[in-house]
Amino acid sequence: MAIDPSKVRRFAHGSRVPGWDEAADLTKDPAVVPDPATAFVPEEMRREIEGEMAKYPDLRSAAIPALKVVQREHGWCSPTAIEQAACVMGLTPAYLSAIATFYDMFDTVPVGQHQVYVCTNISCSLLGADELYDAMLSAAGDDPRFNVRPFECLGACDIGPMASVDGEYVGPLTPEDCRTIVDDAIEGRPVLEGKQLKRRKKAVDHWKEA
Amino acid sequence: MPRPEIHTITFSIDGLEVKAPENAMLVDAAKYGDVEIPVFCYEPKLGQPVGACRMCLVEIEGIPKLQTACSTPVKDGMVVHTQTERVHDAQRSVVEFLLINHPLDCPVCDKGGECPLQDITYGWGPGTSRFIEPKRHFKKPLELSPLIAIDRERCILCYRCVRFSQEIAEDYQLVLLERGAHSFVGTFDGHPYVAPFSGNIIELCPVGALTSRAYRFRARPWDIEGAGTVCTLCPSQCNVELTVRDERVMRVLARDHEEVDDGWLCDKGRFAYQSVHTDERLVQPMVREGTSLQPASWEKALAAAAGALKKAGAKAAALAGGETTNEEAFLLAKLLRDGLGSGHLSARAEGELPLDVARALADPALQATVPDLEFAHAVLLLDADPIDDAPVWDLRIRKGVRRNGVRLGVASARPTALDSQAELALRHAPGTGEALLVALDAALAGDRGNLGGAASTAGSSAGAIEGLADFLKGAGDDVVIVYGERLLSGPGGAQAARALLNVAARLGLSGRDGAGLLEAPSSTNARGLREAGFAPGHGAGYATVAEPGKATAEIAAALAEGELSTVWLHHADPLRSFPDRAAWEAALGTAQTVIAVDSVISDTIREHADVVFPAEAYAEKEGTVTHPDGRLQRLRPAIGRPKGPDQQSGSGVRPLWQVIADVAERAGLELGVRTGPMASKALFEAVPFYAGLTLDAIGGRGVRWPASEAAAAFQGAAWEPVKLDVPDAVPASSEGALRLGTFRSLWSSKEVDVSPSLRFLRPRQIVELSPADAERLGIREGDQVEVGSNGTRVKGAVKLRAAVPGGSVFIAAGTHEQPANVLTEPMVEVRRVGAPTPAGAEEAAT
Amino acid sequence: MEVLYKDLDEPGLNTLKVYEQRGGYEMLRKALKMEPQKVLEEMLASNVRGRGGAGFAMGKKMSFIPKGAMDKYLVCNADESEPGTFKDRELMQKNPHQLIEGIIIGAYAIGANKSFIFIRGEYAHQADVLDAAVAEARGKGYIGERILGSDHTLDLVVHRGAGAYICGEETALLDALEGKRGNPRLKPPFPAIQGLYKGPTLINNVETLMNVPIVLEMGGAKYAEIGTQTSTGTKVVSVSGNVKRPGNYEIELGISSRELIFGLAGGPPDGRTVKAWFPGGSSAPVLTGSDEHLDLAYDFDTLAKAGSMLGSGAIIVVDDSNSIVDVALKTAKFYRHESCGKCTPCREGTNWTVKMLERVQSGEATPMDLDITASVCEQIIGNCLCVLGDAMAMPIGSMIKHFREEFEAHIEAARERNGLGAAIPQVNRGRNAGPGPMLEPAGTDPSAVPV
Repeated sequence: MAIDPSKVRRFAHGSRVPGWDEAADLTKDPAVVPDPATAFVPEEMRREIEGEMAKYPDLRSAAIPALKVVQREHGWCSPTAIEQAACVMGLTPAYLSAIATFYDMFDTVPVGQHQVYVCTNISCSLLGADELYDAMLSAAGDDPRFNVRPFECLGACDIGPMASVDGEYVGPLTPEDCRTIVDDAIEGRPVLEGKQLKRRKKAVDHWKEA
Repeated sequence: MPRPEIHTITFSIDGLEVKAPENAMLVDAAKYGDVEIPVFCYEPKLGQPVGACRMCLVEIEGIPKLQTACSTPVKDGMVVHTQTERVHDAQRSVVEFLLINHPLDCPVCDKGGECPLQDITYGWGPGTSRFIEPKRHFKKPLELSPLIAIDRERCILCYRCVRFSQEIAEDYQLVLLERGAHSFVGTFDGHPYVAPFSGNIIELCPVGALTSRAYRFRARPWDIEGAGTVCTLCPSQCNVELTVRDERVMRVLARDHEEVDDGWLCDKGRFAYQSVHTDERLVQPMVREGTSLQPASWEKALAAAAGALKKAGAKAAALAGGETTNEEAFLLAKLLRDGLGSGHLSARAEGELPLDVARALADPALQATVPDLEFAHAVLLLDADPIDDAPVWDLRIRKGVRRNGVRLGVASARPTALDSQAELALRHAPGTGEALLVALDAALAGDRGNLGGAASTAGSSAGAIEGLADFLKGAGDDVVIVYGERLLSGPGGAQAARALLNVAARLGLSGRDGAGLLEAPSSTNARGLREAGFAPGHGAGYATVAEPGKATAEIAAALAEGELSTVWLHHADPLRSFPDRAAWEAALGTAQTVIAVDSVISDTIREHADVVFPAEAYAEKEGTVTHPDGRLQRLRPAIGRPKGPDQQSGSGVRPLWQVIADVAERAGLELGVRTGPMASKALFEAVPFYAGLTLDAIGGRGVRWPASEAAAAFQGAAWEPVKLDVPDAVPASSEGALRLGTFRSLWSSKEVDVSPSLRFLRPRQIVELSPADAERLGIREGDQVEVGSNGTRVKGAVKLRAAVPGGSVFIAAGTHEQPANVLTEPMVEVRRVGAPTPAGAEEAAT
Repeated sequence: MEVLYKDLDEPGLNTLKVYEQRGGYEMLRKALKMEPQKVLEEMLASNVRGRGGAGFAMGKKMSFIPKGAMDKYLVCNADESEPGTFKDRELMQKNPHQLIEGIIIGAYAIGANKSFIFIRGEYAHQADVLDAAVAEARGKGYIGERILGSDHTLDLVVHRGAGAYICGEETALLDALEGKRGNPRLKPPFPAIQGLYKGPTLINNVETLMNVPIVLEMGGAKYAEIGTQTSTGTKVVSVSGNVKRPGNYEIELGISSRELIFGLAGGPPDGRTVKAWFPGGSSAPVLTGSDEHLDLAYDFDTLAKAGSMLGSGAIIVVDDSNSIVDVALKTAKFYRHESCGKCTPCREGTNWTVKMLERVQSGEATPMDLDITASVCEQIIGNCLCVLGDAMAMPIGSMIKHFREEFEAHIEAARERNGLGAAIPQVNRGRNAGPGPMLEPAGTDPSAVPV
C-alpha cells in the first residue's frame, strides 16, 4: 500500500478526552443491570444508598448521592464502584457512567485522596490564580496523595485567589500558602486555619476590622 | 387508554393555507403543505422531541425568538415562515457549526449518498466554512459491538442512538459520556453494546457515525435496490425492506408499519439475512442412496417422494414449521387429505387443541391487535416473554407503559424481560400453566374452592392469584392478554385453553375494540397454518373433518411403531425444535421414507432424510403468512432463487408450492396450481373468512381479516365459561430435585447459526438457578453443571439470577448443542460437573 | 440598607434557638393563618424579582402554578455557579433558617408538599449547615406532616450537586435532580406547568426565597417602596476582581454603580483605573470604566437599557493592568467547559470561539478573525436551547465591540513577536463570504490543538 494509514500523522495524535479513541472490548459481556445474585455490595454501602433512594419520589434522583457514596468508599468512581451503585439502584452501570462523567466532582480515574480545587476563573485569575495554581502544582502536583485540579468559579471570589481543600474554602492565598496547605492536609490539621472562609465576617465588618 | 382524537386545523406556512392535524409538530404539519423543514435529532418514533440539533428553527408570528419546529405543536391560525432571512441565517449557522469538526470524509463514508447530513448541507448549508483550525481526528472506525462500528469524528451528537437505547429499547447501555464538546457516545467501561435491538441505531443515525459491520463497504447507494417483504424469522413478522445488490441481500431495513412493528427490527431480523447466502444452503434436491444423501435431479427426487407417498397412502403424515407459507400449508394439506387420504397433519409441536377451543380462540371478536398493546388499560403477559417470542412486541409494550401509562401484569414461570416494567409480576412453577389459568379463572369467578387447590398446584398462593385477578378487574375495560402458545401445550393444554377462554369471558374481552387475546405462537406462521387447515383436527377455515388425524407426539409414536410409514417434514426440524428428542430419533429412524424440505441442512436431514427438497429462503418466497393478530401479509421475492451447482436454470431451488403440486401430480392428484398467485387464490376461496381477499388487496400493508367483512363468515359462538377441574398436583419435590423449565431464546435458530455476524450470539446452554438453590447445592456462578433425569444429562454453565424462584431451574431449548429436548421429566437434578454423585457423597460421609 | 445582612454575623444565628429568639418562624405562623392565595398576593404586591439571574417577578411565577390538589414541588436553586457570585453561599451559611422559612411559606402559598434545596456540590460546608438546620426545623415541627397543626405538609430535602454550572439553569437543575445528566429541557412546557417529576414546580433562588419572610413581615406594598419602581427591595451584590474590598454588599436597588464599586468595594488598587466590569456575573455583557457606564443606576432596567444586565448581581471589576484578550479567553473557556453539549450552536460555538481567541492571544490571528468571532457569537445568540450559549456570546461580543482596538493592537504585537509580519488588511468576513484564506495555523503540531 502506498500510504500506510497508521503512519499518517493525523492518526498519531489522539484526544485528551478519555474514551474518544476507545473501542468496545468485544470479549466483555454487555453491561446490563447487575444481578443482585452475583454482584457484591457491602451491606453498609447498600443501606446508605437505599437511604438516599428513599428520599425521593423517583429513585433515580439518588444517582448523584449514590455515586458520592461509592466514590467516597473507593476513592474514585471505578467500574466496580459504579457497578455496586447500579446494582443497588437497579440501573445499568452505563446510566451512572453517563452521570459520573458529566459532573466535575466525580473522578473516573484514580486520584489522590486530598482534593485540591484551585479556582482559576475570572475573578481569581485577575488576582493571580494562575500563578497560584502553578505553585500548588509544584507543591503537591506529583504527590499521589493529592488531586490538584484547576476549577471553575467556586463561588468565593471575595477571598480570591482561593482554593477548596477537601471541601474547606481558603483564601486569599499566596503561592507561599501552598506548602502549608499540603502539610496541613497530610497532618490532618484544619487547613490554613487563619484563611478559612467560614470564619470570615460579612464584607462591611471584615474590612472595617481590617 | 383511549387513542387520542385528531382534529384538523388550518395554519399558514410560507403564505400557504394548509390543513393539518392539530398539535402535530410543525415539522410534520409542514409536510401537508409540501414544505420541508430540515431536522437531525427529530424522529417521532423516539418519543418526545428534544430540540437539540437546532436545525429546524422557524419563525412564528407573535413569538420573538425562532422556534424549533420539531417541538412546536401546530395550532389553528398559526403563521409560520421558513424562508425568511432570519431562518436561513439560523439554518446556515447550524450546518456550519455541525461541520466544523465533521471530517467530511464522504468519499469513503458508508453513508455517503444516503446521508441526511449531506442532503441538508446541500439544501440548507452555507456551502463554505470559515473554520480554519485543524479539525479533531480520532481513531476510526472503532468497534461498538460485533455488529456495529462507531466513527466518533462523524458523530453530530443528535442523541438519536442514545435515546433509542434509553427510551425505546430501555436497555440503557448506550449513553452519552463526558460533557459539552467532549461528549461522546459510548458504553460503560468499554463493554460492547449488545442488546436485542441494537441494530436500530444504525438506521437511526443521520450521519455515518454508526455503521453496520456486516454492510460496511459492501455496496454504494447507487448500486442497490430496495425490495419490500416480510421477515419470517419469528411470529412478529416485521415488515422489512431488503437492500439488494446483484441478486444478493446486503442489508435489512425496517419498512415502518405502525400496526405490526412500529418501525423497529430486532437484530435477528436485521442481520440474519446472511443465512440466505450461506454455504449451508441447500440448493438442489437430494435422495438417500444407501447411507448417504446424494444430489439428485428434480425428476428423480419428485418421483421418489411421490412414490413413497403413494405407497404410504393413509400411512403418510406431514409436519410443518413456522416458515411455511399459507399456500404451502394449504396445498400440502390438500395433498395428504385429498390425494392420500391421510389426516395426519400437524404444525403444533406441543399437541392439538379440540376444535371447539381452537375456534373459540380464533374468534374475531376476541382478537387483540398489536397497537392495542400500546393503548390498552392493562396488558397481561401469560407465560410469554415477548423478547424471545415476538421481540418487537417487547418494544410496543414498553412504549405503552412509558408513554400511555398502560398497566402491565406478568404471570410466568421464568422471569421476563418486562418484569421491571410490570406493576405486578407473579411466578408459577414451570409446566403448571394449566393450574395457573384454572386458579385465575376461579379467582375471577369467586370460586374459592378451586382457587386454593389450583394456586398451590401452580406453585403460587391463593392470595397472589387473587391479587392478579383484582389487578385485571380493576385496571379498566381494555385488557389485552398476551399468552404464550406453550401455555396451552401438553396433556393439560385443552383445559388451560378453556380456562383462558373463561378468563377472557369473565373480563368481558369479547367484542371489545382494544381488548382481547393475542397469542405469542411458538412458530412464525402458526396462525396461518391453522387457518389454512394444516391441523389434524380441522380443515381450511376450521372446517370440521370426518376423521381427525394424529397430532405431533402421536405421529412420532406411530412412526416408531410402524403404524405410519412416511413423513413429510416441511420446514420442520423435530430433532431440534420438538419436545422429546429421543422419541423423534426413534420415529425418524424407523420411518420408511422421510421427505424433508428446508433451506439449510440440519441434523434431522443429515441423519434421517431420504428425499430432500431445497426450500426458498424468506427473501425468495412468494405467498402469504398470517400474523398472530390475524393480519395476512404478503411475501414477495426480493431476489431470484439460488441456481443449482451446474448453474442451469431449473436445476436449483424451486418454489415450494410448485414442488408440492409436482409431487401431487406424480402421486395422482391434480392440484390445479400453475403459479404462486393461483395457489393464493385457491386458499382464499377455500377459507370462508378469507372470502374476497386478493393479493392486490393485501398489498404492502396486509389485511387483518378479523376486522374485515368476511369475518362474519367465521363459525363460532361466544364462549360461555365452563366448569373446570383442579389439575393434579405436581409430583412432590424429591431431595435436591428442581422443577425444570425451558425457554427458547430469540437467538436459537438455524438462521443465527449460519449468519457469520450473529454467530457470537448463538446461545450456549446455560442453567439458570436461584441463589438459594445454588447455595444449597454448592454451586457457584459460572460452574459447569449437569441437569438431568433418568440418566439423561444436559451440560451447561450456571447463571445465578435473583429473580428465579427457588425450586425451579431453567435451561435453553433449541440450542445447537446440549439440546434441552432430551429431557422429558418435569423434575431434574442439578449437579456440578466433577462433583461426587449423591450416592458417592453418602459413601464419603460414612 | 441592610435587611438580609442585618446582624448576619450574630453568633449562633445558624441555630434554631438564636433564629427563633430573633423572631424566626413567626412569619411562618402568620402565613399558615392566612389563605395561601393571600400569601401569594403579598408576593405579587411586593413585586420582588428573582435574584438568580433572569429577574422574573417571583409572585408572577408563583401565580402560574396550577391550583388544586396534585403533586407540586418547590425547588430552591442554590447552585450558585455564576462566576463572580457568592452571595447565596454567605446567606445560607450564616442564616439557613430564614431560607427554610421562606421555602415553607412559598410551598404553602403554591400548595407544594415536597421541596428541595439543590445546592452546588462544592458548597460542602453550607450543605452541612443546611442539613443541620433542616433537621432542627423538622424536630420542631416546621417541616413534616401537618406543620404547626395546620393542614399543610411539607418535606424538604437538601440535594447536593456534583459540579456543573449548567445546573443553575432551572430545567437542567430539574434533570439533575431527577438523576439525569444536567441537560436543559425544551421550554415550553415551563416548569410551573410541568417541572420536576412532571409536576408543577416553582424554582427560586436562595436570596429570593429569603426575602419571602421579609415581604410577609413588612407587607408586600411596603416592601415595594424599597428600591426603584420596577426593581424593588434590596439586593446583595457580590463585588470581586480588582477591588480593594471585595465582598457581598446589600444595597437598595437603584444606587449608582460607582457607589458600589468605589464607595463600598473601594475601587481598583491605587494607581489603577477600571478598564471594564461585568455588572451581573460573567454572563453579562461588559461595561467600560467610562463615566457614562459607572454612573448607571444599579437596577434591572437601567442596566438592561445600557445593553447589559443585572443578572445574578455580581460585579467583577477588571482594572487596566489586565489584557482584555485574556479576560475574553478565560470567559470563553469557562463556557466551553460548562456547555452541556446538548445543542449544536452552544457546543460547537463555544468550542470554536475558544479556538479563535487562542489564536488571537498567541498571535496567529488577523483582525478579520475578530469579525468571524463576532459573527460566530451572533450565530449563537438566540439559536440555542438554553441561555448558556448566549451567556458566552454576549460578553465576548461586548468585549470585541468595546475593546476592538485593544484586540487589534494585541494581534499586531503578537504577530510581530511571532515574526508573522503585519496582518492582512481587515476584511469583512460575513457569514456568506467565500472560502477562508489558506492560512496555515502556526504551531501545527496537531497534538497542541485542544479539542
